[in-house]
Amino acid sequence: MTSRQAGRRLMSARTQRRSSRSRVRKSEPLAAKDLRLMMRLVACGGIFVALVAAKLLLPAKMAGFNEKLSAAMERNMDVQAVFSAVGRAFSGEEGVAEVYQAVFHPEEEALQTGAVSQAEAGAPLSAGEAKTLAETVSWSPEARDGAAMEALRSFRPEAPEEAPSEPEAQSASNLAYVLYSQENLPESVSMEQAILGFDYCAPVAGTLSSDFGYREHPTEGEERFHYGVDLAADAGTEVRCFADGAVTAVGDSSSYGRYCVVAHEGGYSTLYAHCSRVTVSSGAAVNRGQKIAEVGETGMATGPHLHFELQREGTYLNPVYYVSTL
Amino acid sequence: MSPPCRVRVSGGFVLLAAWFALANGWEPLATVLGAAAVHELGHWAVLRGLGAEVTGFRLSALGAVLETDSRKLSYGGELAAVLAGPAANLLAALALTAGGCWSAAGANLVLCVFNLLPIRPLDGGRALYLMTSWLAGPGAGEAAVRWAGTLTAAALAAAMGCVIWKTGGSLWLLPALWASLQWGAAPWLSGAGA
Repeated sequence: MTSRQAGRRLMSARTQRRSSRSRVRKSEPLAAKDLRLMMRLVACGGIFVALVAAKLLLPAKMAGFNEKLSAAMERNMDVQAVFSAVGRAFSGEEGVAEVYQAVFHPEEEALQTGAVSQAEAGAPLSAGEAKTLAETVSWSPEARDGAAMEALRSFRPEAPEEAPSEPEAQSASNLAYVLYSQENLPESVSMEQAILGFDYCAPVAGTLSSDFGYREHPTEGEERFHYGVDLAADAGTEVRCFADGAVTAVGDSSSYGRYCVVAHEGGYSTLYAHCSRVTVSSGAAVNRGQKIAEVGETGMATGPHLHFELQREGTYLNPVYYVSTL
Repeated sequence: MSPPCRVRVSGGFVLLAAWFALANGWEPLATVLGAAAVHELGHWAVLRGLGAEVTGFRLSALGAVLETDSRKLSYGGELAAVLAGPAANLLAALALTAGGCWSAAGANLVLCVFNLLPIRPLDGGRALYLMTSWLAGPGAGEAAVRWAGTLTAAALAAAMGCVIWKTGGSLWLLPALWASLQWGAAPWLSGAGA
């Protein structure tokens, strides 16, 4: 065999090998890694197409889904509180129940604690009444929040955050007159000092930082009616219950922050807002002076204080008559 | 001369850390990262004590991994290195509890217990494999970690799903839930150790 023939044969052998290799590559199944990548791409593409289709075909449902998703994204357990509860349980200072409480009901103290304090202090409500109240507030988060918001709405029926347009237009010099003229007050507000008919105490020993009545909103800037009093105190200061009663709502809102509502006898109810934590659970019976929360600056607040509201059958009363300030 | 330690941080970790910080704040993130640092230091200290070189450190959405050549380590040595991380967390928790730092102590405890779950690739899964292999052979070790891992991972995923459902949020747990499902299914899908 000449060198040229040998070379040609070698060339053709190489070409054959190359073409057979390329044939193999063409029929070769995808490598596992490539297959995984392909599957991911297909899954992501599928989800994208499905979401776009859903948005186009069912816009209302998608809007509802978006709202739910946004709410779920914003609702988080307090990880630091959970770690703290685990640490305390490890040291023996608290029990495992507190860990469970921190994970599932961060805004409420263990029901057991409430029951013990109720028994110790001789609560005004019977166990059956407290149970009924507790049952009205379901433990599922959606239902719990819903119940809390319902209670909050009933506490402020028309939610008249903003004053009626007429008083808004009036100058600041007229405010004193407006404040004490019943005609110019928002509906469901009374400036009269009611005789409560039960024992009460100041919820915190703090400085009066904002009074009941029209004021320039500290964060919104506009003139609005302030339906309670603000009592400035250090964060973590104990918030005591105004009078004997039952907790009708515990919740967390963007404006009130962490809050709770307590119903008292005679159709009175009180609201404690911007708390750093609420230490009672919905439905629990509480006593005058009992710790129910701690002062904080959650929600729409510019510093640590307690926003305290007093209501009688839907009418806002000026709480300043009943709280002693520093 | 010891080989350089290669540090790799995945984008998934950065995203998850950012999500966690946005959802819970910087303080819990710092607490968790502090506990994770204690954990990895525990592994690193024992590995160094045993003369094993740490060749890399990977930080991903699924956790932190110290890369080392463990081939020369005995079953006992590797077991000590594996359990050193949770042990370091436990010691830190004891010290922090004595100092009244409850949340940092809690984070260390949570990390300790979580890592001791018998799921591969967690420390507990590796420790279970090593102990069973040491006592009854690698086949038994593989079978033990496969079954224990799958059952525990399923229970863990269910527990995290329950937390998400009952709290109506805490969606940052979803990657962990997904990871535990992956860990549980991995031995059966890949046929590892078969």
